[in-house]
Amino acid sequence: MRPLDWVVMFAWLVFLVSYGLWRGRGSGSTQDFMLANKTMPWYAMGLSIIATQASAITFISTTAQAYVDGMRFVQFYFGLPIAMVILSATAVPIFHRAKVYTAYEYLEHRFDAKTRLLVTIVFLISRGLGAGLALSAPAIVLSVVLAWPFRVTILIMGGLVVLYTTLGGIKAVTWADVQQMMVIMLALVIAFGVAISMLPPDVSFLDAVKLAGAAGKLNAVTTTFDWNDRYNIWSGLIGGMFLALAYFGTDQSQVQRYLTGKSIGQSRLGLLLTAMVKVPMQFFILFIGAMVFVVFLFVRPPIVFQPVVMQQVHSSPQYAAIESRYEQAFDQRQAAARGIVSSKAGALEEFRAAQTNLDAARTDALNLNGANDTNYIFLSFVTHYLPVGVVGLLVAVIFTAAMSAISGEINSLATVTVIDIYKRHIAKNSSDKHYLGASRVATVFWGIYAMAFASTATGFGALIEAVNQVGSLFYGGMLGVFVLAFFVKRCTATGAFLGVIAGEAAIFTTARFTSAFLWYNVIGCLVVVAVGWSISLLHPRNN
Amino acid sequence: MNEPQRTVADEPPPFLGTWKRVYTLVVLYLACVIGLFYWFTKSFAP
Repeated sequence: MRPLDWVVMFAWLVFLVSYGLWRGRGSGSTQDFMLANKTMPWYAMGLSIIATQASAITFISTTAQAYVDGMRFVQFYFGLPIAMVILSATAVPIFHRAKVYTAYEYLEHRFDAKTRLLVTIVFLISRGLGAGLALSAPAIVLSVVLAWPFRVTILIMGGLVVLYTTLGGIKAVTWADVQQMMVIMLALVIAFGVAISMLPPDVSFLDAVKLAGAAGKLNAVTTTFDWNDRYNIWSGLIGGMFLALAYFGTDQSQVQRYLTGKSIGQSRLGLLLTAMVKVPMQFFILFIGAMVFVVFLFVRPPIVFQPVVMQQVHSSPQYAAIESRYEQAFDQRQAAARGIVSSKAGALEEFRAAQTNLDAARTDALNLNGANDTNYIFLSFVTHYLPVGVVGLLVAVIFTAAMSAISGEINSLATVTVIDIYKRHIAKNSSDKHYLGASRVATVFWGIYAMAFASTATGFGALIEAVNQVGSLFYGGMLGVFVLAFFVKRCTATGAFLGVIAGEAAIFTTARFTSAFLWYNVIGCLVVVAVGWSISLLHPRNN
Repeated sequence: MNEPQRTVADEPPPFLGTWKRVYTLVVLYLACVIGLFYWFTKSFAP
């Protein structure tokens, strides 16, 4: 990073935090702090939801997924639009009419206090882990890129988030996200443009797409069903739909966003905006990763993308031999790529052989240190090849994207702590001012918790998978209880309570046998509904 | 602490007349997007 990059980065950070504080000013009541006084227009809600989803992990890890594994990860999002339609028709009007601050408050109206408490605890555990991970994952990468100590990076990111979330509440979070989303789109377009401009003069855009296809990077849709294959159209449509239903229908960090809507219609439009934008946006981000792969067919990338690991590997006695193999494989691959562009016979086979040799050399280099550099691929491209100033903007966007995800999470954690625990079980009849103060204290608490957790959590592989895997351990159970609440009129409180416990047991058992985490949500939800319904039929008088 | 004040009226969507039609549009849009991605995958498969 050059001086102008630092100036751009700090200017964007200062602007975003100041803007969030300005928009969040005057949050003088709990309703204002937690629900923005029900004033949010649909586009702000929609963009805020998308921005939270387009976290730092999206930039760092999704592009790398395409680089390493191709574009098949896009299928993960296929079920999301269907889930948004279902939620718009069901959860949105139900939550709005129930007059609740949190989704879990509704469970006490429908079932009883113990079911509400159980699901609240499940949420606090899962989202608490998620907030720590959302902070630690990008902090690990950014600390390397910015050459800052890891804990200092966490402290700066976490400190800024706590500042504007504590003072401005959900309004600050949402409006900061709107700005963030616009700059994210700008940054993505610039990164894409730079990648295309780096292609050699004799390689057109269509040639680049052809090369990405030849390398197997454009595998956006896989129709073959395989239980252990994480991403295919079936796991995406079914498992992805259940995950999205659970995330947007039961996770307070998302429910709270659409509870801020001016009306049911505005909340629906916010969700449907997300439904329309999300899949093409993920496709575009993955396509950037595929194009970065093509650029690196002609521009030699570092053998190891993680700069600190690269330095360590470089000093190893075996490095010279590995580097020589790597350079030879790179030259062969480049020649084969040009052969593919000119439709030379046998070029594809040569390309594959060279790619295998290149991958083997890279693996050997990484094994010298035992490191995984997947999450540094895109940032290596950004810091080495983007114009001065734009590097600062992109790093700032990644920085603030992480903050955007964390701010929403600690705001929702604070809301649930105050509404579902503190007000319900500890201080039942205090003033609004008292609860507002408690909300601010809870926000600071969860911010410090996330920073403490993040400081000790390191060593995740592909960040985006780690986040979704943790979520999938809990979401199926939470979704199941809301399905019972919304659609099974005869379900009793005991049935719902035992159903959640059975569902979570089923998920953790399944996780021992398969890592295809999208199915955890389906299995968990179905077990909760089956057990909850069965118990309700056997003991109807508990209703 | 006040109960959240909210508008619970279920107003019609700003276009297409009913929410059912808007939902149908979103599902059809998704089908088109997946269809395009499938064509893209097949067109550039090695």
